[in-house]
Amino acid sequence: MYNSFELNESVRRALGLYSQSLIKIAFAYLKNTADAEEVAQDVFLAYLQKRPVFENGEHEKAWLIRTTINKSKNRLKAGWFRSRNPVPDDLSYLPKEESDVLQAVLALDKKYRIPIHLHYYEGYSIQEIATILEAKPATVGTWLARGRALLKEKIGGMEDEEICL
Amino acid sequence: MKKSVYKSAMSHLKTSEDFQEATYTKLMNHKERMNMELTKKRKAMGWTAGLAACAVLAAGILALNPSSPATTPSSQPSAAATAKPPIMGKVAVNIDGVISEVSADGKSFKVGDLWVEVTDQTKLGSSEPTAAKPSEELLRKNFQVGDIVSGYTSQDVSTGRVTADAIYNLIAPEKDGEAKPAVKGKAAVNIDGVISEVSEDGKSFKVGDLWVTVTPETKMGIDGPTAAEPSEELLQKEFKVGNIVSGFTTDDVGTGKVNATNIYNNMAPRQ
Repeated sequence: MYNSFELNESVRRALGLYSQSLIKIAFAYLKNTADAEEVAQDVFLAYLQKRPVFENGEHEKAWLIRTTINKSKNRLKAGWFRSRNPVPDDLSYLPKEESDVLQAVLALDKKYRIPIHLHYYEGYSIQEIATILEAKPATVGTWLARGRALLKEKIGGMEDEEICL
Repeated sequence: MKKSVYKSAMSHLKTSEDFQEATYTKLMNHKERMNMELTKKRKAMGWTAGLAACAVLAAGILALNPSSPATTPSSQPSAAATAKPPIMGKVAVNIDGVISEVSADGKSFKVGDLWVEVTDQTKLGSSEPTAAKPSEELLRKNFQVGDIVSGYTSQDVSTGRVTADAIYNLIAPEKDGEAKPAVKGKAAVNIDGVISEVSEDGKSFKVGDLWVTVTPETKMGIDGPTAAEPSEELLQKEFKVGNIVSGFTTDDVGTGKVNATNIYNNMAPRQ
């Protein structure tokens, strides 16, 4: 357990290290930066209230990501969120190539979108993604392969060229 | 090696610049609020527990003292001591003493520091079943200084002036020079001792300083149910010096010479 000072420092450190990652994961789910930031705040609030004890930094990050995914899913399921019809962010400020790729990923079903994000943005392996998503590694591999195939159809590319994410 | 366009796009995604600071401030405010709520909750719990304990104590006290009034808890003895129940009914105060002053109209008198007035409503004499019959001696008609008075009033004596509810007695004081009535009735005096002298006729004898004469009216012997049978040994016919004699007389022994009313024994001394 933390004392009050340790907890404050731990939260401040986690905010510095992981806030951008958590916002991006929530964005991959919700497609809206403002909602993503709210979810990230809720995650840190849960961190403050539950005061979880971690074995190491990776354990801590995995807990935060898992919590972000759960909270994002809950928000998507919430009636008030669904009835609001949130408008996806305008990504026109990004370079065209980046904007096209991001739009294509966000257009994927979330069961493909999240593994692709965790693999290509966070750099997690199939095994690690399986642990975080509490799924079988083979299933995660399938989700990744199908996601890539769908993106290849949308973005296009050479037959023998691996899609560039 | 191809550049990860997705990672680059996500990195360029605009988020709030002060997200970290704003989030940290929000978290600390929330934490402070949580602590306050926790304190309030503890206070509320403390009060609840205290009130519950008081209720249990009160219930226990009531259960132990069912006769005590609920509005005066026994845990406040000082309050209970000061808040006495109101006195119901009238309080009667005795009037007893010697009259020191009488009013000009003769209807009021002073006993100690209290002026007592006698009105038509004042009951004179006592109607109690064991009371003596009313007489001029015990209840005089006029109040006079020095008379001994007794009675009672139900009025407040602290005012210094009351009306008597009842006057039982009004007795004149005894005068020093007044002759006391003679004591009537006879007093019997024992005759007990050794005969020291016998008269010539043998009908009188001396015991101590008293001459006792035996007359035909003198009863000889004891006739009680537990008395011994009359015998020559216990009651000799002749009075002799040295005999032990017992009996009594109703005459005045102050004269030094009496007639015996009864002689129980007249025994010769043991050899």
